[in-house]
Amino acid sequence: MTSVLEVSGLTHDYGEVVAIEDLNLEVPAGVTGLVGANGAGKTTLLRLTLGLLRPTSGSLRVLGHDPQEEPLVVRSRIGYMPEGECLPKDQTAADFVSYAAQLAGLPSSEARRRSSETLFLVGLEEERFRYLGDFSTGMQQRVKLAQAIVHDPDLILLDEPASGLDPEGRVQMLDLIRRLSRFDINVIVSSHVLTDIEQTCDWVVMLDAGQLLRSGPLGGFEKLGTVVVEVLEHPEDLAARIRERGIDVVVDERRLVVGPGDESIEQIVVAAAAELDSGLVRMIRGSASLEDLFLSNEEAK
Amino acid sequence: MTDQVIYDRGYRTYDGPRLGPKGARRAVYKDGVRRVLGLGRKARQKIFPWSLIAIALIAAAVFVGIHWAIGNIEESLRQEVPTYGGLFDFYSGISLLFIALAGPQLLIPDRTTGVLSVYFSRPLTVDGYLTSKMGAFATVVGAIYIVPQIVLHLGLALISTEGFLPYLGDNVDIMWQVPVTTAAFIALHGALVFGLSAVIDRTGIAAASFLGILFAGGAIATRVAEASFPGSRYASLLAIDQHPRIIRDYFFGDTIAYAPELAGFEVWVSIAVIVGLVAVAGFFVRNQYRRLA
Repeated sequence: MTSVLEVSGLTHDYGEVVAIEDLNLEVPAGVTGLVGANGAGKTTLLRLTLGLLRPTSGSLRVLGHDPQEEPLVVRSRIGYMPEGECLPKDQTAADFVSYAAQLAGLPSSEARRRSSETLFLVGLEEERFRYLGDFSTGMQQRVKLAQAIVHDPDLILLDEPASGLDPEGRVQMLDLIRRLSRFDINVIVSSHVLTDIEQTCDWVVMLDAGQLLRSGPLGGFEKLGTVVVEVLEHPEDLAARIRERGIDVVVDERRLVVGPGDESIEQIVVAAAAELDSGLVRMIRGSASLEDLFLSNEEAK
Repeated sequence: MTDQVIYDRGYRTYDGPRLGPKGARRAVYKDGVRRVLGLGRKARQKIFPWSLIAIALIAAAVFVGIHWAIGNIEESLRQEVPTYGGLFDFYSGISLLFIALAGPQLLIPDRTTGVLSVYFSRPLTVDGYLTSKMGAFATVVGAIYIVPQIVLHLGLALISTEGFLPYLGDNVDIMWQVPVTTAAFIALHGALVFGLSAVIDRTGIAAASFLGILFAGGAIATRVAEASFPGSRYASLLAIDQHPRIIRDYFFGDTIAYAPELAGFEVWVSIAVIVGLVAVAGFFVRNQYRRLA
């Protein structure tokens, strides 16, 4: 399987409000980050993926199935960790996770066994017979993750999985999510914490106001930083020459910030400087964070 | 904040059977029964349901004992002691308390704790969820009605002067009259308590509303029906708790005349009211939950 999610011309509106507009997207296997500000359409996309919403137009396929045509087939292969509260306070962790497995169709004896194993996996083996109402926020997040993976799904949708965790717990949770991909479980992580996405994902999908800003491998994004160039003279002439190649340039006295772009920027700068006989003092590539890219994409939009 | 540590101790894939939507519905049903009975919950959640169940069973045994004791004195006096129909009155009182507790517990916590978002991410439809919950409700409430009746039936057969098997043979109609009457009580009370629990977020308020509609609503409807203005008799139909009792009386003999009967309505009207209420409540609850899913 190459794609876990294929979206084609997808639009969804809530009456006057268009949550997703003409979205075309392909999410490969692995761990994918879904980023965007509040109202970007992340939750709507997750709910469409689960077949809980019907698209206004367009289509999507999840694990090769249409969630509109076969919602129950799709949902039996997906694990979902909601962002908000979703735990019954009067059940033990073991009972609830076992129940979640049975809801996914596992026989009760197997559900109980996997419940114990999964709670062990997320570090709650000692607390599994405690009532969920007595759990801390961090422990509840782990139970939410456990119920999402207990039935061995092919795809997990995680909505803000590290929310409420302390820094150490956050690192451990993100590491665990990262490791899930090694067990052939595909993960889509929706988060507004971009550093979480950077630490966890292979692929990132950026949404803004229901439209796709960017979709691509995270490694590729890191190469798209800016280049800081310092020249001896004629910075405006050099900037103009570089802009002719369609590359953004910001001039600050004798310093130019060029890009963002890939490694070809350096070659263009060198060539332009040579043409103008302008001496280069230094040229340094700045690393672009996902946040920089997100903000630059939003500004460009 | 917490000293728990996540260890990656490996992950085991699952290649066994997956029961799909049927398994999901069965899981909701089983969880519903367990929730109503307080199983897997804290001890205080077990006290009320199991106390009511114990009272119902003890009462059945007591009724058998009364029959036996009176029969030893004078067999003809046993005709004066209530049997199946009379016991419905007693059990419906217990079951009303039970329903007021159990109905809201089945729906409201799932909604207010947000756990529905987990349920509906599984191979479970709204209809599957609601029918499983209703099934759990009907199983437990039905058991509260029927199990004591079985105890009574077998007890009366054991002390019968005509013998155990002849008594059962002579009273074979009980085998369908009790379940049908029980179904009437469950349908009406279930429709009402599910309808209320679909919109009220506090279990206590839903329980109070349920009992209030049955008792206060019934009393008001009866008074209005007694007034002499055109069409006032139709108000008697709003005394909804009296409809299953009319059906009970149809099978087991009259006890008192209820408001709809006094207003001239036949038993089929009571059946129609129950069916109508179930249909309206079913439509309403389904729409509420479709919006939530």
